[in-house]
Amino acid sequence: MKHTAKLIACLALVAMATVAIAAEGGNPKKGKYLYKKTCKTCHVAGSEGKAMTPLSKTQAQWDRFFNKNGHPNQADSWKGLSEQDIKDINQFLFDHAADSDQPETCG
Amino acid sequence: MRKLIALALALCLIPAAGLAAVDDRATLESLQKKINELSMELEEMSGRVDKNERHTAMDRISWYGDLRVKADTLHYKDVTASQGVFFDFADFGQRAMTGEFGALDPATGMPTDPTSAIAQFMAAYPDQAMRWATGGYASQDYFVIATPKKSDINNDILYTTRLRLGMKAEVAKNVNFSGRLLMYKNWGDSTGVKVFDSWNSFTMDGTNSGNTTGDWLRVERAYFDWKDIAGSNFYLSIGRRPSTYGPPTQYRENELRGGTPSGHLVNFNFDGITVGYKLSAHTGIEGQTVRFCYGQGFESEWGNGELFNEINTKDVHLGGFNVDALNDGTNLLQFTLFQAMDVTDGFKGVIAFPGQFAQQMAPTMWTDLQNFSNFNFVTRVQPSTNIGDITLGGIGFSREEMNGVNWFVSGGWTQADPNGKAGLFGGLLSDPVYRTALVPNGSGGQMIVPAATTDASSSKTRDGYSAYVGIQIPAPMGKLGLEYNYGSKYWTPFTQAQDDAIGGKLATRGQAGEAYYIFDVNPNMFIKIGGIYYDYKYTGSGSPVGAPVKIEDVQSGKAASMLPAIDTAWDGYASLTVKF
Repeated sequence: MKHTAKLIACLALVAMATVAIAAEGGNPKKGKYLYKKTCKTCHVAGSEGKAMTPLSKTQAQWDRFFNKNGHPNQADSWKGLSEQDIKDINQFLFDHAADSDQPETCG
Repeated sequence: MRKLIALALALCLIPAAGLAAVDDRATLESLQKKINELSMELEEMSGRVDKNERHTAMDRISWYGDLRVKADTLHYKDVTASQGVFFDFADFGQRAMTGEFGALDPATGMPTDPTSAIAQFMAAYPDQAMRWATGGYASQDYFVIATPKKSDINNDILYTTRLRLGMKAEVAKNVNFSGRLLMYKNWGDSTGVKVFDSWNSFTMDGTNSGNTTGDWLRVERAYFDWKDIAGSNFYLSIGRRPSTYGPPTQYRENELRGGTPSGHLVNFNFDGITVGYKLSAHTGIEGQTVRFCYGQGFESEWGNGELFNEINTKDVHLGGFNVDALNDGTNLLQFTLFQAMDVTDGFKGVIAFPGQFAQQMAPTMWTDLQNFSNFNFVTRVQPSTNIGDITLGGIGFSREEMNGVNWFVSGGWTQADPNGKAGLFGGLLSDPVYRTALVPNGSGGQMIVPAATTDASSSKTRDGYSAYVGIQIPAPMGKLGLEYNYGSKYWTPFTQAQDDAIGGKLATRGQAGEAYYIFDVNPNMFIKIGGIYYDYKYTGSGSPVGAPVKIEDVQSGKAASMLPAIDTAWDGYASLTVKF
């Protein structure tokens, strides 16, 4: 029993010690809402912006895209978005990217 | 191609160097040198790209996985061993009165011959004989061999390691392969078999992913999805199914939805077929999908010694519907209804035989086994009979709020429809009826032993109910989760592969509560610390075989239980999971 308590205490300490490197991203829920509201107005099949889904890029590719300053092709399209909004969209697209975890269901 | 690129680069570099310096021989030489260097670099890069292209073309499976190391501290309170059988006292009385077990004195009703089977039986079980003689038993009742023994069991530390290797491959544009290999072991044991004392100790097809079975890498899942068949919204999926860790159990696992069916009703490895239709294309409701699922839980002929032509069991098939009425990434509303037909009194599997079973059912064997008290022979078990049908239904709803709070409610219903038959371990939610048999006692006489029949103690239809609720709240460094589930006396879900150390908590006939804290170390690594408290009201949680009886009745000796009856238990755990 004593060993168990020690083990749990150690793990808690490790967690606290390592939290400094934990990911601090945007809110993917808000990101999804903003993505639908903002991005999907242009990025649909047959449109000028072409269809685009989170699966269109890998996590690293999404991060590279958002790390650039603004939307390279349509700078105006991000005008109404705050820095946090963009972070939220980035988080949503990152979380659902082609190489992200996917639900393990059939179909 | 490379020459063309080099030439183009040269043409670009020439004007850049300045036309005024064209005659400058040194500059030309410098340019030529640069071109040569760039050509070499391009050649090297081309080689690297070729290598990547070849690797992409040849590496047809993409791998991913996770590794979980967990420590559990397990504490069982008032574990009661009450060995006995459900006995036909009416049959015993009638046969005793005819003198089948030895002559009785008409005046006193007592045996006249002290060496007769009935005299020895009464001498061996004086309390039970007295109770019988005074009409203390019902016509069919539990015959408990000895006063129940109650004890607390503490396993201070149990370490386990679970490795899961996921596979994905694209077969064609609309055909995918998915698979998952799994190793789940407790530290220091790779025998692959455990002494049979609970569902968790049965090495079998349906629960291998949730029970420790040594250092073997098993195929937990392997199936393909053929989507948009002929341009329609139908899909077909066949193979070893993604039928474990279904919603809403993914929250406590800290992962995305881990399986198709409701985890409240099903957490069991199945082989089968799913035909799905994506209704969302018509209704516009995101993620709306209707699925018909079919599977086989038991093959009666193949592998069961069919060439001896003594097989009297039927295959177990199951089928039903699994509907995601809404699945938009925020809300999931799921309906489940399916039936398992001709359920058997067990499964094919491997156990190490507990010597204690011999004490009541094979006394001569028990005597010999005393010479090898720490030996347990490993044996393959297979069902002996079909015992009825089980229908399961449920509604589950989960929601992921914008502020990071996730919550769910789920209701489950099971109905057991027994056919009145029983095997050694019982019928469908009923016990096997034992009747008296006479066997040689080794000294020329005979002795009375209880012998199992194929009759079940009951053939009544039994309904079971369960509720499961939970919430996960963002908290400093991670999230805090609270869960509660209740199961009624006859609650009989297929969640035996849920990997809780004490037993799948969602199968509890009684109630279970869980609290946990997840520290998200980084997106691919987390630490989980928590505990589950079980309060069992009835025996046999998770088992469709055997009659559930009140734990307090087992403790008082009013009822027997083939497996130890646990009153309460708690499991404190800490785990570290890395995803890669």
